Amino acid sequence: MSQVELKELSVSVGAKALVANVSLAIEAGTWCTIIGPNGAGKTSLVEAVAGLRPPSHGSVSISGRLLSEMNERERARTVALVPQHPVVPSGMTVYDYVALGRIAYHGLFRAASPDDRRITDSVLERLSLDEFRDRDVITLSGGERQRMVLGRAFAQSTMVIVLDEPITGLDLRHQMELLELLKSEVAECGLTVVATLHDLTLAGQFADRLVLLDRGEVVLDGPAAVVVRSDELASRYGMNLRVVDVDGADVVVPVRR
Amino acid sequence: MGANPPTRRRVAIVAMLSIAGLCVAAVGGLVIGPTSISAWHVIGDAFSRVGIGHSRLSALQSTIVWQLRAPRMVLGLFAGAMLAVAGGTYQGVFRNPLADPYLLGVAAGAGLGATFAIVDVGHGPGTPTWTPLLAFVGAMTAVTVTWLIGGRSMRSNAATLILAGVAVSSLLTSAQTFLQQQSTGSIARVYIWLLGSLASASWHSVWMVLPYVAVCAVVCVAAGRALDVMSVGEDESRSLGVPVRRVRFVVIAASSLGTAAIVSAVGLIGFVGIIVPHIVRLLVGTSYRRILPISVIVGAAFLVFADTIARTVMAPSELPLGVVTALVGAPVFVLILSLRRPVAV
Repeated sequence: MSQVELKELSVSVGAKALVANVSLAIEAGTWCTIIGPNGAGKTSLVEAVAGLRPPSHGSVSISGRLLSEMNERERARTVALVPQHPVVPSGMTVYDYVALGRIAYHGLFRAASPDDRRITDSVLERLSLDEFRDRDVITLSGGERQRMVLGRAFAQSTMVIVLDEPITGLDLRHQMELLELLKSEVAECGLTVVATLHDLTLAGQFADRLVLLDRGEVVLDGPAAVVVRSDELASRYGMNLRVVDVDGADVVVPVRR
Repeated sequence: MGANPPTRRRVAIVAMLSIAGLCVAAVGGLVIGPTSISAWHVIGDAFSRVGIGHSRLSALQSTIVWQLRAPRMVLGLFAGAMLAVAGGTYQGVFRNPLADPYLLGVAAGAGLGATFAIVDVGHGPGTPTWTPLLAFVGAMTAVTVTWLIGGRSMRSNAATLILAGVAVSSLLTSAQTFLQQQSTGSIARVYIWLLGSLASASWHSVWMVLPYVAVCAVVCVAAGRALDVMSVGEDESRSLGVPVRRVRFVVIAASSLGTAAIVSAVGLIGFVGIIVPHIVRLLVGTSYRRILPISVIVGAAFLVFADTIARTVMAPSELPLGVVTALVGAPVFVLILSLRRPVAV
């Protein structure tokens, strides 16, 4: 049984199909990155996987259970989301922000249990956020802030994490750090990652599998090394792309025509 | 204020000071007035009623305190507490610092209902006894219509609801203005009602609003944790496991019902619902688990304090309560705002 399974998934707004008839099965403990040009439907697809957009056709199931048959709390204990533009609520401490991930466990009318607090503490430690715990969230830098949002998703203790452009706006070091953190969770805890990324080089280096989406449809789907070398990839982006091998890693570079 | 949100210790201090202020305001509401009565005598009288000591109040003084001032003071506590907590709740659920309890049409609906009742009796003295009932019906109808327009469909969000409230409010206000202009003889009485006053308070009106205020204020305060989560926006709160639509419905229903009950008893007292939660927020930070319960206390104290001023400074005539709340509240707010780093909602 696959960890995440999309069956003939379509997402529409009005008459316009943002995601059209996508079927994917993603194995537990693997990293699947969705790539594609702007407007390809990547965000709609990951929002459907996170259960935030009801499919207009087809279904999403995680661990064999349909998302549409779960209530909000069950869903939040099944799949966590790192959104593209997270809201940063000024005046909240970093600890309280990460602890929001435990709401689905202790509920809206009960305080966090000792277990919830222990998990929040361990996430803060794992993501080196401990020194910021009493700081106001708006005082963090971009890299620290994104780590904090990832921390909230980790605190949800789900087996699947969905990330929408998690490294946008971060400098190179913070981009790598964030992806490495995630990669180690995949390796150590069997986490399943579904992410969208614009950077094809990083997408290729971190994902087990790349899925190219264009106009809402899956165009290419395969191991990263194969997908980045495909002519189809270059043509969908309308660009001249070269793959350079640097110490065994694929680097995708655009070349002016 | 540094980079850190307020500590527990500071919140505890603010809470204790608010409770002390509430006690002072409540006793002041009983002893201050044209007939000056000693606070100790009033407290002694209260104890004598449960069998401790002897009262030193005369029968007249006792009547003034317990039949005139006490119901007025208690109704003021209820009104201040409810308006403040409803305003704070609205600010949280709409994530909008300008939200007040009248946002979704409660004021316009109540105003139209009350105007109906007052205009109907023509030139008779005072306001008719069914004014509160019509005001209450008007308020709840207005909020229900707003909800049906802006809050029901799957694609609606907080903004559509606010816009629906604006539309419903302006429609009902224009109807109310028209009705008021048609009946020149009762304009003054309509106007006085619209400004809000505790002058007609009685133990009867206190018992009438008590169940609404008790239930609705408890629901609002209990929603504090949900509102804290919802400060990250609707989509993210849903992904964290919050049933956003259901929470929004329950919270808006409770705030509106409590506000409608208060408005129907005391008219449209402005400013408390918007200013008190903001003052509290500046003192204790942005968590609604702190803002809402402390707003209940501060709102109650503030309104009784304002009413004591309203009925004494120009005695025997009274200042409109809404005028005093703004006159006292605005400078206090500006003072705190200038002393503290502004905190966003």
